[in-house]
Amino acid sequence: MNDLIDSHNVLFIAAFIIQLLSIVFLSIKNERKALFSTNIVLLIGLAFGLISTLSSTLFTSAEISSRNIFSNFIRLDGLSIYFLFIVQLVAIPITIYNFSYLQHYIEQKRPIKNFIIFYLILLISTQFLVIANQAIFFLICWEAMTISAYLAMVLEREKEEVQRGSFYYFATSHVIIFVLYIFFFLLHHLTGSWFFSDYHILFSTGIVVPIIFILSFIGFGIKAGFMPFHFWLPQAHPIAPSVLSAFFSGVMIKTGIYGILRTFQFLNPVPEWCGWLMLCVSIISAIFGVWYALAQHDIKRLLAYHSVENIGIIGIGIGIGFIGSANNLPVVQVLGFGGALLHTLNHAIFKSLLFIGSGVVCQNLETRNIELMGGLVHRAKYIAIFFLIGSVAISGIPPFNGFISEFIIYTGFFKTANELKNYYPIIMLMFVVGLAFVGGLAVACFTKVNSIMFLGNERKEVKHFHTSIYDNSSLGILALLCVVIGFYPQPFVGVVNKVITNGFVKGNSSSALINIDWLYFTVIFSSIALSVFVLYLIKIKLEKKYGRRTSPAWGCGYENLNPRMQYTASSFADELNTIPKSVLVYHKKVEISETAFPLPSKFESHSKDFIDSKIILPLFNFLKLLVGKIEFLSQTDVRYYIAFILIIITIYSLIAFLWV
Amino acid sequence: MGIEILQGIISIIVILGVAPMFAGMVNKQKAILTGRIGAPIWQPYYDLRRLFKKETINAASSSFISRISPILNLVTLITAAAMLPVGFWKPLISFNGDIILFAYILGLARFFQILAAMDIGSSFEGMGAAREATFALFAEPIFFFTIGSISFISGLTSLYDIYHSIQLTNISYEVFIVICSISVFMLAVTECSRMPVDDPNTHLELTMIHEVMILDNSGFDLFLYQYSSYIKLFIYAVLEISFFYPFSKQSYLLGIIIFISGSVGLTFVLGIVETITSRYRMKNIPQYLLFATAIGILNLLIYTFTK
Repeated sequence: MNDLIDSHNVLFIAAFIIQLLSIVFLSIKNERKALFSTNIVLLIGLAFGLISTLSSTLFTSAEISSRNIFSNFIRLDGLSIYFLFIVQLVAIPITIYNFSYLQHYIEQKRPIKNFIIFYLILLISTQFLVIANQAIFFLICWEAMTISAYLAMVLEREKEEVQRGSFYYFATSHVIIFVLYIFFFLLHHLTGSWFFSDYHILFSTGIVVPIIFILSFIGFGIKAGFMPFHFWLPQAHPIAPSVLSAFFSGVMIKTGIYGILRTFQFLNPVPEWCGWLMLCVSIISAIFGVWYALAQHDIKRLLAYHSVENIGIIGIGIGIGFIGSANNLPVVQVLGFGGALLHTLNHAIFKSLLFIGSGVVCQNLETRNIELMGGLVHRAKYIAIFFLIGSVAISGIPPFNGFISEFIIYTGFFKTANELKNYYPIIMLMFVVGLAFVGGLAVACFTKVNSIMFLGNERKEVKHFHTSIYDNSSLGILALLCVVIGFYPQPFVGVVNKVITNGFVKGNSSSALINIDWLYFTVIFSSIALSVFVLYLIKIKLEKKYGRRTSPAWGCGYENLNPRMQYTASSFADELNTIPKSVLVYHKKVEISETAFPLPSKFESHSKDFIDSKIILPLFNFLKLLVGKIEFLSQTDVRYYIAFILIIITIYSLIAFLWV
Repeated sequence: MGIEILQGIISIIVILGVAPMFAGMVNKQKAILTGRIGAPIWQPYYDLRRLFKKETINAASSSFISRISPILNLVTLITAAAMLPVGFWKPLISFNGDIILFAYILGLARFFQILAAMDIGSSFEGMGAAREATFALFAEPIFFFTIGSISFISGLTSLYDIYHSIQLTNISYEVFIVICSISVFMLAVTECSRMPVDDPNTHLELTMIHEVMILDNSGFDLFLYQYSSYIKLFIYAVLEISFFYPFSKQSYLLGIIIFISGSVGLTFVLGIVETITSRYRMKNIPQYLLFATAIGILNLLIYTFTK
């Protein structure tokens, strides 16, 4: 018990106790007051947690040291603290948004107290998950996180799409936990220990070890949403309440990334094929994730596909790291893992920003279809600005944070080519072009989203657009983080570098990450901002001198332009969506009447998920058919079942008997 | 150090000053080749001065995006220009990895230009914006397959260093560089909305890309857009001319002479290309761009295997 008295641990434990205590305030009868006080206490708890995380050795100048508390059940090493930091940092704005988001549900008389309980369990279990050091404890946290998320997700359970989407989530979660059981039992079998800190296996020791890697890749990969396993994301994200979508995309899928990185730590160094596998899967996820996103009209579904893209970019970084580890090149490892880790933080920030922003819009307009939005910049200027910052950041465009992590990944490619020569430069160049292509698609996608949602004229009349101080402050915090990391990346890169050099890279660590000229970015971006400001002042002065007025847009001589004549999201993206038509399962239906008195014409375009519609659904339909064949076995009489059990037991015993 | 910063500043001033003239020269060449007298090469300066003094008119439904986008466009293009070796001199911004910043900072300009076009809420601008987004997507790989491949071969990641690594040593490398420069030329045509991808002088809104995006701008806003499009053309001209670096034999004077004659020569080439080609149909443009990309890939593969 000696280790618990440390002042550091006191703060750490207090944070969790305060978070748990918030549940007491749910006993207040008045729902509004209960919501308010619970969230306030929860926020205090999270803030305490963040302070204790920030005061740990990872964020101070001291040498990093791992601490174990609760007799090894919890271990705070670099990677754990970093992910704990991400969870807590993003959870704070999401919880702030909770205040205003749940008001709406109180009016609808929904059981929000249940929602808060599940949300609380979700938060706490996710925090424990990333610091767990014991396999069973890890799995318990994992299940608590999964189940509480499911229970919170079905807030609007009478809707059919909610049932469908949450079932997808539930079923895939079951597959994940099944894979993870095998994964951890194998690890236990190999090392004889349940503690993560004891897992150090050499990859060359046997055939079981590649199986471990593949299991972790599948199990954690489904959670993270890599491309063949991504199908549950676009089903589950749109139907979840916006608070949860933000948490899912921002934090929960990152636990998959955490798992993959942990597995790497167990197996370090990994052989090179792991790196190639990771790189190929990731580049496919990135390209097609964003391409699918481009074809969506449902804003939250679109953002869910963007998570697939960004997980792909993180995976590219991890892949570079794996290749560096296989070839024993610390420089490449530092850049690859560095890019991946920083992008994990960045994605957590801007994706929750975008989900919260879209949540505010969807709640006000009562639709998720972007074709019915438009002109919202005139209704809610700040929301539009924050959403714009998030969009620029997620497209990886300077001067915001997305660019910084992509820059590190690009540098990783260049370094890999440089260090390994031979055929590497060509392959790396292909990946560079792939990543640039992803950037271009992201620009197309987010210019579409921003312009259709916020710019132009209102396509559907908005009676009243309500934004509260909570919406603006939660979005403001996240947008500020995007700007700060973009303009002044040095401290964040330093932290990431510390995580990697502590325990990730074996042997001589490299300072490649901190040696990038980060000061250049600060100077260039600040001077861009400054000159835009100065030019804006000049512009205003000139407009005073020579005049400025507004007039209707040029309609080629046509006078009665109406909002429905604006360019739509589907026409914006049509040309790009037609290119990989078969992969996107992109359909267009045009109905033009050619009679003397033409009736209104119709046009619609759809995109379905290839994996979902061509593999998953047919597979399960087939299974259903198969199970239907043996349906005669399901009888109402209990004696049949007893007979079945007896038969099965006999068969098992026979097998066991013959085996021995 | 001091002299290098001075050179960098001079480079930017040169780009800012000469860029409109370069566009004027291209138009003059084109006029002469088609048997007209044409406007003087100073015409872009007159146009800019005229726009500078005009009243600004904004579309009724436009927002702050329309107000800020022209400025951002100019500033980002100047930033990109500050990374280029004008006259083979060391640019103001030059660090390891600036090739990525160069590509992405042009992306920032494009992002806001598309948004500003959609801000008007008219279908014309929407069409232009959609085309810009689509074609830019196919243009991006060309840049990385040309400049990027030289960078991967030399192992350098700064534009200045990349161009300075070009040497006339063996024949396969020379062929490689020549084909790279052709790809860059095709890229320049796309990015600067010249023929055969886009026709800046067409009269119909439906057939334009870049011009239709700025249809509803006027006054100082249009001044900024026009000026930045001149600068963009000159940026790509510099990217092209810098391939001639090996001929300068590292002497400043020779370098400047080659740079000037190179730019004049490039106006000839652009003039001829624009005279003898007509604009492609919109649906053929992706093919044109993919062709340029394919040249880049093939070129790289051939070079790597014959090395």
